[in-house]
Amino acid sequence: MIRLIIRRLVLMVFMLIGLMAIVFFIANIAPGDPARLAAGPDATNEMVEAIRLDRGLDEPLVMRFGYYLANLAQGDLGSSLLTRRPVLDDLARFFPATLELVLVSIGFAVLLGVPLGMLGAVYHNKLPDQTIRIIAISGVALPMFWLGLMLQWYLSLELDLFPLGGRLGIMTPRPETITGLMTVDALLAGDFDIAREALWHMVLPGLALSFPALASIIRVNRAEMLETLDKDYILNARAQGIGSFRIVAAYALKNAILPTLAMIGLRFGWMLGGTVLVEGVFDYPGLGLYATKAAIRSDFDPIVAVTLVLGASFMVVNLLIDLAYAALDPRVRAQI
Amino acid sequence: MSVADNMETVAVTRPDRWREYRRMWATFSRSYSALLGLGLVSAFLILAAIGPWIVPFPEDALGSIHLERKLQPPSATHWFGTDEVGMDIYTRVIIGARTTLWIGLTVTIIAVLIGVPLGLVAGMSDGWLREVIMRVTDVFLSIPGLILAIAIVGALGPGILNAMVALSLVWWPGYVRLVQAKVLSVRNETYVEAAQSIGASPFRIVFLHVLPNCTSPIVVKASMDMGLAILGAASLGFLGLGAQPPYPEWGAMISIGKNYLPDWWWYSLFPGLAIYLTVLGFNLLGDGLRDMLDPKQRS
Amino acid sequence: MKMLSRLPNLLAAGVAAIALNTAPVAFNPANAAELVDNKLYMVIAGRQEVGHLDPAQKYDVAIRMMLQGLYDGLVKYEGNPAEIKPWLADSWSTSDDGLVWTFKLNPSATFHDGSPVDADAVVYSFQRTMEINEGPAWMLDGFVNPDNVKAVDATTVEFTLDRPYAAFLSFLPWWYVVNPAVIEANKGDDFGKSYLLENAAGSGPYKLERFESGSSYAVSRNEDYWKGFPYENDRMGGVIYRLVRESSAQRAALIKGEADLVTGLGPEERTALMDNDDVLVSTLPSLTSFGLKMNTKNGITADVNIRKALAFAYDYESFTQILNGEGKLQTSPFTDAIKGYTPIADMPTRDIAKAKEYLAKTEYPDGGFEVDYVYVEGFELERQMGLSMIDAFRDINVTVKMIPATWPNMVAMGSDVETSPDLLAIFTTPVSTDPDAVAIQYHPASHGKYFGSHFLDDPELVALIEAARNETDWAKREPMYHEIQQKIVDLQPEIFGMMRNRGTTHRKWVKGYADSPIRMEGEIDFYSVHLEP
Repeated sequence: MIRLIIRRLVLMVFMLIGLMAIVFFIANIAPGDPARLAAGPDATNEMVEAIRLDRGLDEPLVMRFGYYLANLAQGDLGSSLLTRRPVLDDLARFFPATLELVLVSIGFAVLLGVPLGMLGAVYHNKLPDQTIRIIAISGVALPMFWLGLMLQWYLSLELDLFPLGGRLGIMTPRPETITGLMTVDALLAGDFDIAREALWHMVLPGLALSFPALASIIRVNRAEMLETLDKDYILNARAQGIGSFRIVAAYALKNAILPTLAMIGLRFGWMLGGTVLVEGVFDYPGLGLYATKAAIRSDFDPIVAVTLVLGASFMVVNLLIDLAYAALDPRVRAQI
Repeated sequence: MSVADNMETVAVTRPDRWREYRRMWATFSRSYSALLGLGLVSAFLILAAIGPWIVPFPEDALGSIHLERKLQPPSATHWFGTDEVGMDIYTRVIIGARTTLWIGLTVTIIAVLIGVPLGLVAGMSDGWLREVIMRVTDVFLSIPGLILAIAIVGALGPGILNAMVALSLVWWPGYVRLVQAKVLSVRNETYVEAAQSIGASPFRIVFLHVLPNCTSPIVVKASMDMGLAILGAASLGFLGLGAQPPYPEWGAMISIGKNYLPDWWWYSLFPGLAIYLTVLGFNLLGDGLRDMLDPKQRS
Repeated sequence: MKMLSRLPNLLAAGVAAIALNTAPVAFNPANAAELVDNKLYMVIAGRQEVGHLDPAQKYDVAIRMMLQGLYDGLVKYEGNPAEIKPWLADSWSTSDDGLVWTFKLNPSATFHDGSPVDADAVVYSFQRTMEINEGPAWMLDGFVNPDNVKAVDATTVEFTLDRPYAAFLSFLPWWYVVNPAVIEANKGDDFGKSYLLENAAGSGPYKLERFESGSSYAVSRNEDYWKGFPYENDRMGGVIYRLVRESSAQRAALIKGEADLVTGLGPEERTALMDNDDVLVSTLPSLTSFGLKMNTKNGITADVNIRKALAFAYDYESFTQILNGEGKLQTSPFTDAIKGYTPIADMPTRDIAKAKEYLAKTEYPDGGFEVDYVYVEGFELERQMGLSMIDAFRDINVTVKMIPATWPNMVAMGSDVETSPDLLAIFTTPVSTDPDAVAIQYHPASHGKYFGSHFLDDPELVALIEAARNETDWAKREPMYHEIQQKIVDLQPEIFGMMRNRGTTHRKWVKGYADSPIRMEGEIDFYSVHLEP
């Protein structure tokens, strides 16, 4: 088992290098002139050239990729051409924010998806089931950014139930950064009000982000529940008059854990990608917003770093889910 | 079982094929959601085809501006209201179906054209060639497609063509995985092995025995992907990286319309609904097709 | 209209009913200004991120706004029309040959750490900026050698110019003075560049309190500001600049009272806010001009008659229509606030007959060609201008291809004569009211920069511009600039557009707001603003 994990990790490193190579070369075919951009609008040509030399932008691409990898090995991810800030600092700031948002929306997807799926199965083909199925199918078809806009419009602009955006109210004192996850940091500082406020800020973006995963989770849970309901032993249990719903739910839940996990793994990438769309709508200062801004301005150190981090976290999550699978299901263990 | 027996099951005779089609249609038409999907997709295709002849202000789709009637709410004249330069939103949403169809088709077709041959090659060959193809595929699949697409469009510059290129480049790996897996499962079937043993050329094997077995899942995936590609293109449009004005594209319309929320809500509401219904249609159709063509895959 | 806009509430009610059940608290800040320790903090909601806080590095509107609050310069622009006011420098004098400038510093000026702002600090700051050679360094490039900035005594600084430079003083407001002791202590290997990204070392009316990259930036009022404040309001505690990237959210924040002042709203949104009793919407003409630069050396627009034809075909009225009347058409290549401005009689207006006349002199007497229009992706106004252009040029049978480009790509295109497009949409805000700041944009020295994408190189014009900038006597300069304006119109290197009025939108309890046309749109001067709820 340990050896298998190590093998997967080694493979991951190679895949990440491949990924970086692809993105690095793509980002560099840009017709834009990053040095001029960094120098500012009124800069003289000499100033632009000085920056070009300073950043090594005059060297051939392959050399630059080599330097990049060498620096990376020392933990240096380069720096933004625009803000001059080291990319590593930016990632440390923005990645936890995005991770927190994605975790919250996975929470939404599971907390809503599992009961809705079961409910659908219990009322098989009746009105609740039909409604839930529409939600499930819509989840994948709704443009996330549009859903976010509409939620913001109704619940925040019109009804004033939720904050417009951001991570915390503007005057709320920030808890000391320990994990970078606002809720966790607030709890560590013992401040429940701030933790709740941070959570409250994540409701709308989290909901918008959770929809595709919610849809998948509803589907698998509904299917598992239907299957469980058909099983002989359930019929027996029912016949013996044991609190029938409790039993059915317990059996179905147990069976649904694995496919639910698999769905989370499958949709995790979607959610990471979705942050690009949702964070902008809600001014949520995370990696997605950071990536879009960098892409629009041809600021390529951040672009490469973001893809690296997102790729790595996607791979890690899928590895973790495979491991969870193996721990829960002996038949899979041999296949990892 | 002899080789001949197996060969016969592959080549079904004509009347049998009709019976098979009827059975499929029966499966399909029993499902309301599949029919709804078919309906939505048909409506979408019809609008894309005849749009320019049924819209009230066809010149508005080409960028004819009327500043004197900007940002008017929905009315009998302007069903979906007007935008910030007085163009009729209803007209632009209908004409936008063409843009959307074009994007969806192009992206899906390019993805199939790249992904399927690579998947066949990877499935049929052994050793380094398969390793290379599958590893490159894995790398592409290791990152959310939208992020990669954004990086590509960011580099190439915004525009509808670049958006399509970017989406096609991130879409093909799914087909490689699908086809390769299918080929592997078919490869060891007796009739393929038999064909190999009687000296059939690899091409012949692929086209006569392997590819027909892959068509159903490819068609199902392609139908689903039409929807997803449309969603992807709209997302790029929303980020300002897709279609350019005065071209009517739904995502780009929402991107501009969002600046006019909440007072001028109709501007972003209707294009969003159009995306939703179209993608929903393709997804439902894909589901229905899967139940019909590939009953074993049903989940 | 009212009916329809309420309709969606019915739908919302259902959603809300579910939401309410789970809602712990609705975070609804009190409908008054934000309070911290019983001090009032003004919240500005803007769209542009503050990249850094170093006066010697690249600047943009958000950076300049923060710098003006945290730092002081020798002089400062204030008022409308913009005037240069003494600031760190009480007074100054110029030698007769215009080469030596001597500044007397205000002896009471102190940095935030209490140490005096002396001549050494001024010299250090100028030399640091020139040494780093980024940001404002270009303004004095070729005119002042770092070694020729000298401290005569503790309160006297002397600049010796290499050659006379009429615009010298007009650039100094953008050169801020940093505290040498703080920089030296955090110098690193890059002259404190890294340190100043998120720290400040100034003497300005505000001190840095919080720098939350990509989210919000807070400054607190420097109660002991050496110059004092122009208002009496001890409750004013500070300013928070918060990023709100969607204009609809900005507007909502203003209406809810979560923001006191918002920048960058579009004309429609501003018009919609005019009915709100708590909000003040006002406009002010600005130095900013919007024009469509044409490539005069390459492509179809290399022919001056084509350029003239396009200029006469353009629908200038659409400019002001799109802006709901909040703009003024240019009557000269110089905007109204520029010194030496004079209206030019034959500025093109929409006149299809005349456009066709010019077209007849070209290879395309009946039109039938296409021009590329490149503009900044996501820039609403430029996009709408493009749409109106499609409509306008149809009348002379010319089609327009709209090409949205990211800013870097657009700058890169405009920097090369081969790739510079037929029409490039450009907003320019000169950093000075001196006419040279505008005239130089039509001089080959500007080729390669985004506002030089016309690649105009007319020997007569070049000679005029150079003569005018080296002349120090305004009586002689003024007629030269009149001639320059006429000459530029004759050459028609761009379709001269309009001066967009600068909009301000804020709660009525914001007092002391003073804009100056020299500042960019949304560049708030924190010094005089305060809250009186």
